[in-house]
Amino acid sequence: MKRIPLQGKYIQGILLFLLLVFAFAFPRIMADKPYWLYVALQSFFWAMMAASWALLAGYAGQFSFAHVAFMGIAAYTSGIAGERLGWSPVSGIILGTVMAGFVGFLVGYLCLRLRSTYLALFTIAFSEIVRLIINAEHQLTGGPMGLYMEPLLETTSYVPTYYIMLAALIVTLLSMYAIANSRFGLFFRAIREDEEAAAAMGVHVVRYKIAAFVITAMIAGTAGALDHHIIGFIAPNELMIPRMSLIIAMAVIGGTESLISASIGAILIHFLMEWLQAIPVSEAMMAKLQANAATVQQFGLTLGDGVIQTNAWRMAFFGLMLMLTLRFWRNGLIQPLLEKIGRQGIAEETVAKRKLPQEENENTEVQP
Amino acid sequence: MVNITSQYLLNLLLNGLLIGLIYGLMALGLTLIFSVLGIVSFAHGEFYMIGGYVVYYLLQAFADLEPMLAILAAGAVTFIIGVIFEILFLQPMGKGDIERPGEYAILLTFGLAFFLQHIMIGIVGPFPTKVSRFYDFIEMDAGWLRMNKATVWFFDMPFSSSRLIATGIAVFLTALMIWFMSKTWTGRGLQAVSQDRQAASVVGINPLRMNTLAFGLGTMLAGMSGAALVTVFAWVPWIGMAASGKAFVIIVLGGMGSMPGALLGGVVLGIVESLGAGLYPDPSKALAYKDAFGLLVFALVLLIKPTGFFGRKL
Amino acid sequence: MKLEIKNVSKSFGGMQALNGVSITIDKPEIVGLIGPNGAGKTTLTNVIDGVHNPTRGEVWLNDERIDTFPPYQIARRGLGRTFQVTRAFRRMTVLENMMVPAMAINPTVSKKEVLEKSWDILRFLTVEHLANEYGRGLSGGQQKLLELARLLMLDPDFVILDEPFAGVHPKLQETIYGYIYKVRQEGKAIILISHDMDSIFTLSERLIVLNFGEIIADGHPDQVKEDPAVIEAYLGADEEE
Repeated sequence: MKRIPLQGKYIQGILLFLLLVFAFAFPRIMADKPYWLYVALQSFFWAMMAASWALLAGYAGQFSFAHVAFMGIAAYTSGIAGERLGWSPVSGIILGTVMAGFVGFLVGYLCLRLRSTYLALFTIAFSEIVRLIINAEHQLTGGPMGLYMEPLLETTSYVPTYYIMLAALIVTLLSMYAIANSRFGLFFRAIREDEEAAAAMGVHVVRYKIAAFVITAMIAGTAGALDHHIIGFIAPNELMIPRMSLIIAMAVIGGTESLISASIGAILIHFLMEWLQAIPVSEAMMAKLQANAATVQQFGLTLGDGVIQTNAWRMAFFGLMLMLTLRFWRNGLIQPLLEKIGRQGIAEETVAKRKLPQEENENTEVQP
Repeated sequence: MVNITSQYLLNLLLNGLLIGLIYGLMALGLTLIFSVLGIVSFAHGEFYMIGGYVVYYLLQAFADLEPMLAILAAGAVTFIIGVIFEILFLQPMGKGDIERPGEYAILLTFGLAFFLQHIMIGIVGPFPTKVSRFYDFIEMDAGWLRMNKATVWFFDMPFSSSRLIATGIAVFLTALMIWFMSKTWTGRGLQAVSQDRQAASVVGINPLRMNTLAFGLGTMLAGMSGAALVTVFAWVPWIGMAASGKAFVIIVLGGMGSMPGALLGGVVLGIVESLGAGLYPDPSKALAYKDAFGLLVFALVLLIKPTGFFGRKL
Repeated sequence: MKLEIKNVSKSFGGMQALNGVSITIDKPEIVGLIGPNGAGKTTLTNVIDGVHNPTRGEVWLNDERIDTFPPYQIARRGLGRTFQVTRAFRRMTVLENMMVPAMAINPTVSKKEVLEKSWDILRFLTVEHLANEYGRGLSGGQQKLLELARLLMLDPDFVILDEPFAGVHPKLQETIYGYIYKVRQEGKAIILISHDMDSIFTLSERLIVLNFGEIIADGHPDQVKEDPAVIEAYLGADEEE
């Protein structure tokens, strides 16, 4: 991330403020299209997942694939507590978060000595084991058929839950920013850059690595438990690796080293996914396609009412985007954009402004 | 509760061995990629998956096609895709143009897996397909050895003919690979690069070209394993994930970068899975947990001795 | 201040890297540590710094036994080291690089204090203009200076410099000399590992020679260079004048 001059920071601030205003006004704007309201609140869930993963991977350098597992553990804990023990959703969410934190601690501890590829492999294995256990122990978890989760609010409108998710996203982002700008963030990044050098410089690597896992696991857990109490259902297929890949795609395309970029990336991608699900086509085009219906079907597309349903292709598209972004725009697509906006200000503050007054007799040369 | 006779155990063991040899072939490809390019390809299973589908589509389109040709075609297709991917996305890494290459390789191959999987879901749809066995065996009965079209009984232990054929193919290809790596110039060049890139380049071997070749060969081996196994398992576009998982377990068990390790690890995994599934007390959950055994062993090995049997450190 | 290496041995599998090494440093001095490649200099540094635990023997710092401590704890007790290959934090600015050790050893220090101290040190090394540059944007020599600057933020009693002059041009070398003298003036002890004989003999007040993991000489540089064992093992047949 490049340095942003003060002017630029104002512009960024204004932009974010406008985004917030838009986000708050969104339900009014979409009053007659509750579907998009639902899409939006779901996108906030993904934003929390992507941003927390960005904190773990982009900031602390731990490329873990266990993130969906943490989310799932929290959601299932909450669901089971609700269904088998009669707990309320809120208590369930809190329990789920604690559980996720505990598991995050465990994984962080086990992963201490594992470097990049081994870390990836281990967390994948862990994630799969969790999913398989959930699948197998159907008496407890409902197995492959899934688990009913008590809805957070008894309401037919998405508006209140929209605001809840938005609030959750804002609180989460603010907390993560606070962490990133604190000594935690500094040490995370030092560990990311060079673990051994960081240790030689006095950083308590063990503590901060585990902290990174615990914090991000808890955020993923809260997001997951909360979101699934809104959806009302959870199934083990949500813990499958492709879900993790999607989160990674969102964070990478947004920008792994910037929490807000990752969030925006997630929101945009989720909306795009929904929009791409059914692409409207003109009547002329539709006629042509229907004439060749068999071929269209062979390509895995289906023709709906004035739309082409893209099914799996939109996922493939984002897979491709992930690869291309990595190859050509390593910092993501959103992050450089935000930085560019930030640099619209005057030339960078000069070093001179930041210098402290020099002492007169300070001797800076030492004769051998 | 199944009667655990020694014959039943032996059957499980041998079945595990059969499957294990095929896993070994797939893992061989992955280990080759690792030893030359230094990366673990998270998309390896997807090439296995594609290989199976190539055979499926060819045999559907041309009912009389000799299955061995279909398998060769699967190998060719996966080789080509691998080479194209390597040139477009991995070459810059080999040239040193990519920052934090380790991270890059992980995320990139993950993205490739995601991409390939969903392209196939788009093309095939989320429905399983089955390819019927390549050849019918002759009917015969010699007491200790009995055969019919689909099954072979060896001392009264049943083995599916599809598995036997698949294993035969795998063993043949493995032997071919071993010959290739040790007796041909190109193969020895690959070995040289895997041991010491700089030294290899100094004697005139082009490491970048070797990268491309190694990746292509690796994906080809995966593809052909899939082509061999497509008659044994029901094929779905996400079968690659389980395959990748097994390949990882194997190379970690056997040691990254070690070819004998890959083969040994494959056999061990095959046997562990077979015994685990066959002996787990609760049959209703046994199948669900079958994959978990390998994963558990895997996780433990990663924590305790990540270099496995024969491997070198990552 | 006291650093005691007591009869330390270290083996890796079958390979004996250090064998019965004993060194005591209990006053500010510049100690040169030399020896042929593979003599064990970096291994010794790693053992002192907690990267490895000694197979036998003990390491004591200021009357506290540290050989089982991890590196970050040793850093907090006032022993810092650099690495042969410079390891600056690339995606962090120079100032951030400096802040890491300062904040790591002192949980309650204020950012203002840390920044002030950072500026002082950067100015001393004449690199204050790079304060907001990212580590990856620095040249090799600048990165080396950053590593040295960063080290001082630990406020260490002991400093181990591993090949500080490798690939360094003369002007930069002067700056590093100045750094070493200043640090020595401030009452710290410096262990200087280098193959650059000129620098070693210019700077060292004491010279230790390591060969095959054992100390074969430990004394004043002028004496050591006359020592026949040293000459035979390391300096070769030619005598230094």
